[in-house]
Amino acid sequence: MLRLKKIMAVGVVALAGAALAACGNNSSNSSSGTKKTLNWMDKTEIEGMDLSKVTDGTSFTQLNNTMEGLYRLGKNSKVEPGLATKTTTSNDGKTWTFTLRNNDKWSNGDLVTAQDFVYSWRRTVDPSTGSQYSYLFSGVKNADAIVAGKKKPNTLGVKAEGKDKLVVTLDKRIPYFKLLMGFPLFFPQNQKAVEQYGKSYGTSSKTTVYNGPFIQKGWTGSNLSWKLVKNKNYWDKKNIKLDTINFSVQKTPSTDYNLYQSGKLDAALLGPQASKQLKNQKGYTLRKTSSTIYLEMNMKKKPFNNENFRKAISLAIDRKELANSVGGTAEPADTLSPENMTEVNGKDYTDLVRGEATKQFNTYNKKQAQAFWKKAQQELGKKSVNFAILTYDDDASKKAGEYLQSTIESTLKGVNVRVQSIPKKTALNHAGSGNYDVFLMGWTADFSDPISFLDLNTSKNSQNWEKYSDPTYDKLVADSKVTPSETKRWDDLVKAEQRIISTQGVTPLYHPEEAWMVRPSVKNVIYNGAGAPYNFKGAYVAN
Amino acid sequence: MARYLLKRIFYMILTLFIVATVTFFLMKLMPGSPYANEAKMTLTQQHIMNEQYGLNKPVWQQYLIYIAGMLHGDFGTSFQYSNQPVSSLIGARLGASMQLGLQALILGVVFGVIVGAIAAVKQGTWVDSTATVISIIGKSVPNFVLAVLLQYYIGLKLGLFPLAGWGQFSQTIMPTIALAVGPFAETARFIRTSMVDTLSSDYIELGKAKGLSRMEVIRKHAMRNSMIPLVTLIGPYAVALMTGSMVIENIFNIPGIGEQFIKSILTNDYPTIMGITMVYCIGLVVILLITDIIYGLIDPRIRLDESEA
Repeated sequence: MLRLKKIMAVGVVALAGAALAACGNNSSNSSSGTKKTLNWMDKTEIEGMDLSKVTDGTSFTQLNNTMEGLYRLGKNSKVEPGLATKTTTSNDGKTWTFTLRNNDKWSNGDLVTAQDFVYSWRRTVDPSTGSQYSYLFSGVKNADAIVAGKKKPNTLGVKAEGKDKLVVTLDKRIPYFKLLMGFPLFFPQNQKAVEQYGKSYGTSSKTTVYNGPFIQKGWTGSNLSWKLVKNKNYWDKKNIKLDTINFSVQKTPSTDYNLYQSGKLDAALLGPQASKQLKNQKGYTLRKTSSTIYLEMNMKKKPFNNENFRKAISLAIDRKELANSVGGTAEPADTLSPENMTEVNGKDYTDLVRGEATKQFNTYNKKQAQAFWKKAQQELGKKSVNFAILTYDDDASKKAGEYLQSTIESTLKGVNVRVQSIPKKTALNHAGSGNYDVFLMGWTADFSDPISFLDLNTSKNSQNWEKYSDPTYDKLVADSKVTPSETKRWDDLVKAEQRIISTQGVTPLYHPEEAWMVRPSVKNVIYNGAGAPYNFKGAYVAN
Repeated sequence: MARYLLKRIFYMILTLFIVATVTFFLMKLMPGSPYANEAKMTLTQQHIMNEQYGLNKPVWQQYLIYIAGMLHGDFGTSFQYSNQPVSSLIGARLGASMQLGLQALILGVVFGVIVGAIAAVKQGTWVDSTATVISIIGKSVPNFVLAVLLQYYIGLKLGLFPLAGWGQFSQTIMPTIALAVGPFAETARFIRTSMVDTLSSDYIELGKAKGLSRMEVIRKHAMRNSMIPLVTLIGPYAVALMTGSMVIENIFNIPGIGEQFIKSILTNDYPTIMGITMVYCIGLVVILLITDIIYGLIDPRIRLDESEA
């Protein structure tokens, strides 16, 4: 009860703040300090600086800017040079050899060597480390067995040849391997520091060592502000433009927008109301989060095992209206993979997916919906159906649930929907054990590749909670993993996604977005929805 | 007195033990795991993690391990913050909440007593009605609304105080005011009522008859007697204030403990839930004890020693 009150309170604050934001549009925008300083915010505290263990965006942003791996993710998730100066791949795609630059140092003075990668990777896959992301190593030789505790970490397919040569052996081809190398989880770690600091490694700025563009100062483990300062030992220091980035944690949108207006912040996350009102202001920026909200219908149960029923549901949903009704900023989704995540030969991947399948099955069409419902009624031998939609209990999920209930019930006569909104942990528990009818699922890509979404619903995937099983789909996804040809791979993935849409294996609804105000003088801040959110290496503040 | 204290302390420890036990088992009834990336981890992986953290053991064993750790002063490490010991997490966060809470309590109570007393003395006049209106507003306007208004008008528009943040005294002023409004209104109302009561008692009349001045009667007799019920009110208020307010802390970016507690429950961060619950509980039992002692001091009619005879 107390919690409920507090959560309601937060909602009211957000509203009040938004109302206030409307009153004060044109106040000061001067005094942003010197050109070499950026004042940035994040939504949550840093969870830690131990790259083997962290799970959250704030920590990954910190790691991405204070550490350096083989590559660094640039604009639109393109890989840019990091420590690797030369990369060669064997013909079968299973052996990668990286040559490292020999002039990058840790902040404790040690040289960064190939052994640091070996140490870091072994540490992450070692079950006793407790990494929650170790599954991303799947495909590196023996990784799965080590993660499952069946083999020793030193059997991992990675070795150092001398100081500057790193050789990685894979079990199978990983088409997005370079992309993974740009994710902090695959960055090196300094064994000396990890062992020296022991339990307190990565729990404060002082007990962490750095080799990236910036060095972190002033984070104590639980405080809400700290800074990043330029690393003078960084191999590419001439391309770092900022001297200092001041970070603070902001949890109330009205507060951060006030701070933005007073010049204390150069970027501010907006609440739902403010984001609507500031839409046309200079500096308004939409961040695409590389995530999709979609329906998973439990196919172990009737009537969800009926394809026509699933199609009826999908066609009864006006995704534009739904995206408008969830409160924040969201983009209607007709594809499972989010837009602006992956480019294929200069084209957005989702544009390749769009076509007959998305038009026929993921576009609002009341008449067609009713026609499919009629077919389903005959096949099921039932006039009416009752089911529950399981959602998390946050504001957006509840609103989405309400909208779905009203549109489905009013379009499909005889379908009765209940919305069951419960705390996330509990909902996941229900969903994971198959104890639900329809689940409002949210998924964010770990790396900028559609396989991050498409793998989930293959029949053997343990996270295929709805038990969708389609041999055609399985084969397309499996084929995409083994083919040496880029072209064929994309072709397979596009076909797989079209297949899951035309069978309504999942029903994509919308892509959540974040609305920000970013001072227009701030240039070159790189944001990627998947992986580590921000890259400030080349960022600067113009006059 | 010493016997009484010993007995109370024994009961306090018993209470803490019961609270720890009940909380532990209730907490274990919550579904889900403490892993942030739960949705993406396979079941096998979760089993391995559970093994790592001893979460696959029967709950009673986990309970015994926890209690044994607690007796050694080890509250475990947080799941939300990798590697961070719960004791240092709470230690770092509690300070800010306590400072704010204490400031707010003092501000609220002092002003509340003054306004309440004036209203009682000037009972029935416009002063009284104004004071009543102010305290009703203070009681009914939620503190976060006031916080947002203060931040916007005093902080942003007038630029008198820093908008948010922690570290300088000036940054504590607006959140203190926002937090103080509740106890202020409550105290003012309370003091007024109880003082109106006291002012009509016989011994006040006697004081006046004795020839004491009006101020002296109020200060020496009316005030002291009217304060007694206030002590009951302040105790729980103090605990509530000093253990932090999630909303106020979030609005003013204060690294306090209020939000940590809520977040630890939502994320199944077991050691943190236990740690903060124990801190709350210790705060409450200690304050209750102090309240009872203060009672005895300000009201000669209450004698602690006799109460246990």
